[in-house]
Order: sequence, then C-alpha cells, then structure tokens
Amino acid sequence: MTRALPNVLTITRVELLRFLRDRGNLFFVLILPLALIVFIGLQFGGAGGYEVGVVAPDDDPAAAELIDRLDASDSLTVVALADEEGLTSQVSRGVLSAGLVLPEDYAAALAAAEPIRIGYLGRPDPGSRSLRTVVEAAVADQSAASEAAHLATTAVGRPAAELIPVAEQVRADLPQVTVVTDTVGRDEVMAEFAALGQFDLGASGQLFLFVFLTSLAGSGALIRTRQYGVAARMLSTPTRLPVLLAGLAGGRFAIAAFQAVYIVAVTAVAFGVDWGDPLTTTLLILIYSILSAAAGMVLGSLFRNDSQATGAGIGIGLVFAALGGSMMALEFFPEGMRRVAMLTPHGWANTAMAEIVRRDGTITDVAIELGVLAAMAVGLLVLATWLLRRAITR
Amino acid sequence: MDALLRCEGLERSFGRVQAVAGVSLAVAEGETYGLLGPNGAGKTTSISMIAGLLEPDAGQVVILGDRMTPRATAAKRHVGLVPQDLAIYPDLTARENLAFFARLYGLERARRDRRIDEVLEVIGLSERAGDRASTYSGGMKRRLNIGIGLLHAPRLLILDEPTVGVDPQSRNAILESVENLASVGMAVLYTTHYMEEAERLCDRIGIIDQGTLIAEGTRRELVATIAEQDLVRLKVVGDAAGAADACQALPGVGSADAEDDTVVCLLDEAASHLPALLEAVAATGASVAGVEVKEPDLEDVFLHLTGHALRD
Ligand SMILES: Nc1ncnc2c1ncn2[C@@H]1O[C@H](COP(=O)(O)OP(=O)(O)OP(=O)(O)O)[C@@H](O)[C@H]1O
Ligand SMILES: [Mg+2]
Repeated sequence: MTRALPNVLTITRVELLRFLRDRGNLFFVLILPLALIVFIGLQFGGAGGYEVGVVAPDDDPAAAELIDRLDASDSLTVVALADEEGLTSQVSRGVLSAGLVLPEDYAAALAAAEPIRIGYLGRPDPGSRSLRTVVEAAVADQSAASEAAHLATTAVGRPAAELIPVAEQVRADLPQVTVVTDTVGRDEVMAEFAALGQFDLGASGQLFLFVFLTSLAGSGALIRTRQYGVAARMLSTPTRLPVLLAGLAGGRFAIAAFQAVYIVAVTAVAFGVDWGDPLTTTLLILIYSILSAAAGMVLGSLFRNDSQATGAGIGIGLVFAALGGSMMALEFFPEGMRRVAMLTPHGWANTAMAEIVRRDGTITDVAIELGVLAAMAVGLLVLATWLLRRAITR
Repeated sequence: MDALLRCEGLERSFGRVQAVAGVSLAVAEGETYGLLGPNGAGKTTSISMIAGLLEPDAGQVVILGDRMTPRATAAKRHVGLVPQDLAIYPDLTARENLAFFARLYGLERARRDRRIDEVLEVIGLSERAGDRASTYSGGMKRRLNIGIGLLHAPRLLILDEPTVGVDPQSRNAILESVENLASVGMAVLYTTHYMEEAERLCDRIGIIDQGTLIAEGTRRELVATIAEQDLVRLKVVGDAAGAADACQALPGVGSADAEDDTVVCLLDEAASHLPALLEAVAATGASVAGVEVKEPDLEDVFLHLTGHALRD
C-alpha cells in the first residue's frame, strides 16, 4: 500500500483537472453564481425607482384615492398586496422598498373623523425614510380634504367671520390620521436583515445552491470515467480498489470545495460580503462540500448514462435549493415549509449561515446544524462508496 | 524455460456462462505468446485474470514469482495492460494521459518525463502530444492506448486485440511496434482472432475455444499436429516430367508429379527444401518460371481441432 496516498491524489487531481478543462462548466460554475448574487443584491439594495406595497380594504373609495395619489408621484409605483404577511416578506427581502397597511373601513373612518392608524413598513435605510415623508404627505393631503369637508358641514349657514373659531374647533376635535412607522412586530427579523450587506443574503444562499448543484450536475463525469474504461484500467496499475474509490471521491470533493472557495473568495473581495467567523464558516463549508460530493457520487453510481445523471442532478439541485431556503430566506417560509426545508442539507446549512453571519454565531452556536450535516455527509458517503464500488466492479 | 508468467487451471464463469474453463499457459522472458481464438472464446476474460482485474474462480497466476490477484500491487508492476476497448481520457492530451498513468505506476519525475517522451516517440504521437485525445483519429487513439501500457517498461506487455477496427496502415504500424518491443526483449502476450497476426508476431501460439486452451506450440508444431505437408507447385519451362523425377529423388520430398508444365511436390517443410528443389530442376536443364507454396495454416489447424472455422 506504499503508493496509496500518492495515487489517491493523482486520481483526485486528474478529475479536478478534467472538470476545469470542460468549458461547458465555466459558465455555470464561475459566472452564473456571481450573476445571481449580483441580481439578488441589486433587488435587495433597492436601487432605482421605489415600489411601495399597499394592503388595502376592497372597494374602499378613500383607499383607492390614496393609492392614486401615491401612484401619481414619479418616483413611486404602487403594488397591491393581499395580506400583511406577504408585504412583510417582500419588504424585508427588499423586493419592495416600503409597505403601507390601511385599516378596514378606511373611508368610513375618515368620513366619521375617527382616529386612524396607518401602518408603514419601512426598511431601515435612508431611502426608506425619505419614502415615508412622501407617504405621510399624501396621507396628510387626504386628511386635510376630510377636514375641509367637516368644516363645510359645520359651517353651513353661518357668516364667514364666525367660521375662524369654528375651523379651529373642528381642527382640534378631529383626530389626526397617524402614520405608525413601525415594522408591525417584525423588528427582529428586519433588524437582522438590515444589518446585512447588500450582497450577503444572496451570497450564502447561492453558495449552498451552487456547491450542491455543481456536485450533482458534475456526476456525469464519474459515469464517463467508467465508460472510458480508465477506471478499470487504473486497477491494472498498482492501484487497489479502495485507492481508486478514494481518489474518485476526492475528485468530487475537490470540485465541490473549488466551487465553494471560489464563491466565498470572489464575493468577499469583489462585493465585501461578510462570511462571519472564519473557522466556523470553513467547517460548515467543508462538511457541506463533503456532503455534496457524496450526493454527486450516489447519482453518478446509480445512473449509467451521463446526460441522465446531469439532468437529474440539475433538477434535484434546484428543487432542494428552493425547498432549503437558498432562493428565499427561511424566515419567510410558512411553518410547514420550514419543516420541509429541514429535510434538505440546504435548510440546515442556511440556518447555520444565518446564525453565523447575522448573529455572529460561532461553532457552539451552530453545533446542532454542523452535527446534522456531518451525519448526512457520513451517511451519503457510505452509500456512495458502496454504490460506486458496485458500479466499477460490475 | 524460465517462465515469466505462469497460469494454471484458470476458470471463470459469469452466471451460467463459463467464459474460461481451464487455461494453463506459460510465457518465457522475451517471448511473444499469441492467444488465438474466435469471438467469445474467453481471451479477454483470461487476460483480465492474468492482469489482476478479475478474480479467477479457480486456478492461479504467478508473474516473476509474485501471485497476481486484484489486490496484488507487486505483480502489477511487472505488467503493462493494453485493453481491447480504448481506455484513455479523451478530454486529456496524450501527454496528460501518459503522465497520469505514469504517476499511478509511481514513476519519479525525471524518469516519468523521459519515459513519456520515449513512449510518444514509439507510438508516433510526439507531434500531437499536446492535443486532446478526442481530436485524434481512431488509429492514433489506439496507439495512445498502447503507449499507456508501455510507460513503466513492463517485463510483460499484454495486448488484447490491439488491431481490431484499425485501418490496414495503422495495423501494420502497430504490428511493427510490437515486433520492435519484442526484439528488445519485452515479453508479449497477444490475443487476436487474426491468424496472420499470430503467425507473424508470435513465437508460440495457444489456440483457445469455448474457454479452453485446445492446442499450444510454435506455428510449425501446431501445423504438424494435423500432419499435413507443404504443397509446392513449380511452373517449369522445359521437361516437366524430368524435373519431377529429379525432385522425387531428393530426401524429404514425399511425392513429385508433373501436371502439364507444373511440378507438384508434397514435402515436409517447404522453406528448407525449396533451394534444393530449384537446384534439382535447374540441373535437368529446365528453368523455373514460377513458384507457389501452399502451407497448411492455423486456420486449417483450428478447423481440424474444433470442426468450425476461426472466423464465421
Ligand atoms: N462481464 C461479463 N458478464 C457476463 N458475461 C461475460 C462477461 N465478460 C465476458 N462474458 C462472456 O464470457 C465469454 C467470453 O468472453 P470474452 O470477452 O472473454 O471473449 P473474447 O475471446 O475476448 O472475445 P472477443 O474476441 O469478442 O473479444 C462470452 O460468452 C461473454 O459473453
Ligand atoms: Mg476480447
């Protein structure tokens, strides 16, 4: 067994070399992740015109009128939303710049001069604060009209001279329409996301998406190594089967790790993405890369046709990423979906990363997530080794 | 004979198919041994056991004193295997393919670089060494496939039907390089179902059919087993009958008859008797206008032994 380790590394090296050689990979591995991170970051950062979401009662003339007023502003576009939950989710992700929640019977309350509270959901950035001023101005405009109407009804048949004290009386009696600028009880999440850099959220989600996806989609290479006959030929050299299996597994791991290191390094340097505690993040990525590599090996051993394996790999990779919170933050998942998320490695990895980046978590804080991921990795690796051994010696 | 490779009683089945049902053979240092048999005879299965890719159900393989098994690493160092089907990375260049396998054989840097250059020279791919194998012609790929087996200068080179599906020109180049390797002392185990290749290359030939080695020996020995004699037809200008009588008088000539202007002789070994025959004819005053020698060949031997043809 004297040549065991060098031969493992030789096989690992050549598998990585072949991966980097394949021009088809370059776009998916090098360009697409960054493009998506930038795309998500731009949405999150809310550059350009503002989109304001409004949750308003149906068939309410006053609400409709307020929406028209807001819409009239050049820099604003109003998007109608059905419920507050969706609004919160979209504002916190930066899909919308701000949100407005109008009470039920808004028109009636306005007419009856009852006190009205309008919920304003903002993002804690300067753009959002100026946006609130615009919204408040529109609301004030509308309530001023209501004031005038009241004054008019009180004033009917009186001489103008008497009207000044009446007007002051009406003004005092009428309750102000207050714009409540809180974040409707979701300060915690909001604050967390507020503390994130523009590209941070996209980067960690895409990291887990792409490391897994690349590993699965690349599993076709493992099938080709068998089809080319080189796997069997390696066994005619002083290379034993366990060494061959370790070398091929090493190749899969090197590819996953390459994808991870690439995304972390480029986003940290180019976009200043904060990856949290280096040791904890390294450990998380290491375990996750092993897990992804093993999942790719399972796929590459089960299938006999490389394009089938690649197709299945892309499908599984994208579905898992969506379910596991790599496309939308887990915080905005409904309860049931959040439980489903935890069936995917992505769910655990994203949860751990949220802790590491948003709450400055270290190893002890994410020990459970790391443990679960490590267990998944070991399980998949055992399965993958058994399947690959069977596929090679068949 | 000091055997480099010795295998005894090799057997191997796949499910109900008995691919190899008892193969024993030995290859001496520097010898070229041909394993000749039709499709499905069990050549590749035998080779796979000899090269340690396949565990035999029974029997054993010993190479230079080392037992060959799938887990043996010492024995594998003595052997270079050239598989029947291409076994190269098409997405790597010839040089990269060679370097990869050279590393697996544990060749140190300096020796590796030197051997790669030497092998590229031998397989005639020096010019294209930096191109990906996927851009090579079929013959070039086959040559690279062979080159990988030569890297560590093995004591025994095993070639499994290296010329199948190759154009005549490339085939000739491959046969020539095998002859060259044999001439510098490398032992070669060569499987084929082409009789001419076995005859041209091999010192000894084993005939395999339905998993069993049914005959073994030099070409001459094999042909002798069916006790056929060579047939020599001499086209004569002059007195054919007189020439025939002169031939008949020579030792080793079984019969010599005149048919029109042709003398037909049956004799033990045409190659060694031909000069004497020609002299005898010339001595009668006639001259020889044409010679045709028809030796019984391995096809005839195979037909004789199995009752069916080598190729169908
Ligand atoms: N892996 C396998 N699984 C099942 N059957 C096999 C396997 N390998 C070989 N066989 C069977 O064993 C027999 C011998 O096959 P083998 O490949 O050794 O023949 P061969 O002499 O090399 O033929 P060819 O000249 O066509 O290469 C055949 O009947 C073949 O179908
Ligand atoms: Mg064969």
